[in-house]
Amino acid sequence: MFNFKFNSILDAIFMQSSNGQYHGLYVWSVVLIVLLSIAITFLVYKVQIKNIGKKIK
Amino acid sequence: MKLLKFELLKLRKKSRGWLGPILVFVLIMTAFPLTVEILNKDIDQSFLSVLWIATLLVMMLATEDIFLEDFNDGTLEQMAIKHNSLSGVITIKIFVYWLLIGLPISLLGALYGFGITSSADLAIQLIPILMITTYIFLNVFSFGNALSLTKGSILGILITMPLVLPLLVVLGKVVIAINLGMNFLGFLFLLLGILSIIILVLPIIISFVIKAHLE
Amino acid sequence: MIKKFIHQFASPKTYLFQVDRAYPYIFYTSLSIYLGALFWGLFLTSEDFVQGNSYRIIYLHVPASFISQSLYLAMAFASAIFLIWKVKLSAYLVRSIAPIGAVTTFIALVSGAIWGIPTWGTWWAWDARIISTLILFIMYLGLISLHDSFTDNEKADKFLAILVIVGSVNIPIIKMSVEWWSTLHQTASITVTEKPAIDPSMLYPLFGSIIGFTGIVVCLVILSSKLQILKREKNKSWVKDYV
Repeated sequence: MFNFKFNSILDAIFMQSSNGQYHGLYVWSVVLIVLLSIAITFLVYKVQIKNIGKKIK
Repeated sequence: MKLLKFELLKLRKKSRGWLGPILVFVLIMTAFPLTVEILNKDIDQSFLSVLWIATLLVMMLATEDIFLEDFNDGTLEQMAIKHNSLSGVITIKIFVYWLLIGLPISLLGALYGFGITSSADLAIQLIPILMITTYIFLNVFSFGNALSLTKGSILGILITMPLVLPLLVVLGKVVIAINLGMNFLGFLFLLLGILSIIILVLPIIISFVIKAHLE
Repeated sequence: MIKKFIHQFASPKTYLFQVDRAYPYIFYTSLSIYLGALFWGLFLTSEDFVQGNSYRIIYLHVPASFISQSLYLAMAFASAIFLIWKVKLSAYLVRSIAPIGAVTTFIALVSGAIWGIPTWGTWWAWDARIISTLILFIMYLGLISLHDSFTDNEKADKFLAILVIVGSVNIPIIKMSVEWWSTLHQTASITVTEKPAIDPSMLYPLFGSIIGFTGIVVCLVILSSKLQILKREKNKSWVKDYV
């Protein structure tokens, strides 16, 4: 169904490219940092809104 | 004209205001060769960078209280009410600061340039560039000072520092142009263009900010 | 008449109610588009001929940098509206977009730096676009600190608006920097006027991630503006009913 370019999960984690380097570290660290920052920002705002709601009551 | 003489007199009286920055500039430019080896061939390249940074720093110092004293003793309010265009007053004020601080620094910088690199060409080219650059820095940092008039000057100036960084990038290109001896006039006109826009626009913005402070 | 329309539309109360209704739709749609596009880009596209597999960072880096610049333009637009028509909601929006802009610029800088290691061999280079984006990040932080350093909110709003507009000179520098100077950065692959310089199979997930990321950022701005409105209007009567 899906035309996966990586043959196994391990392949997807390491992401070896045609010049022999392992690019998995870079790609996955960026993915982690981006998703974490977005999630943390959401959480921080939700918590702050809850706190100010409590203060207003 | 009368206003020009008045502002000139005020600034000359306050000798700390104009002598201070000039002396700091002299200090930095004199200390620089002391920290580098005498026969270092790269001194030409790094000299220009130190020159730009020293100019930046000194202009920042110079605008530390460009509006503060007048704001504190009420002169600024009087000027805002009396004159039709506060921006005209501000233009004159910045011009006076440039005459007493920016112009001497440009000449001194060119002198140092001649002293360190022994090339009269470089020194002569440096004079107009420095004159224009000091004027631009002065304008932008006065804007920063006006923003934080009531809070203390450093925050406003620090916040407007990112605005002059693109100018530093252009200056870096000028260094290359000078070293390779090409297209110097092009850069000069570019800087002149930037200066003309800034001279017209920034005093208007600063007057807007000051009027907001005075409410 | 336009003034009346704007003042009617721009009451923080109506804004909050409308935004609350729309929020779940925007959030779930954009999250699914973004994650779907990421999945497509990370696993289903073939590797780049020159860069190998590390080019996949493009699906994270490009939306972030595009959005960080667009957020600044949105702030400049809102500042202009505030200065001309004195719409308070605009000022709240400017203050609330600033931290989100800082986060997105941070994402753009970090993802770009990590991408540089396998492709350029270095995680930092003093080239024009990187410097200008760093300047943009510092400007966002400066805007937040300027606004928060004032106790008088009206003055703070005005100065923030002025500084935003004066600082918008940085945005053309970022956008044009890859064309005016020769830099490490490659030139734009997607422009309005020409055919894209990137393969279609890689183009579609890129569009998807840009659209999805925009939606996520819109949700963040909604949350931030909610916080800002609650803080600034907490003495009004409708706020007590709202919470």
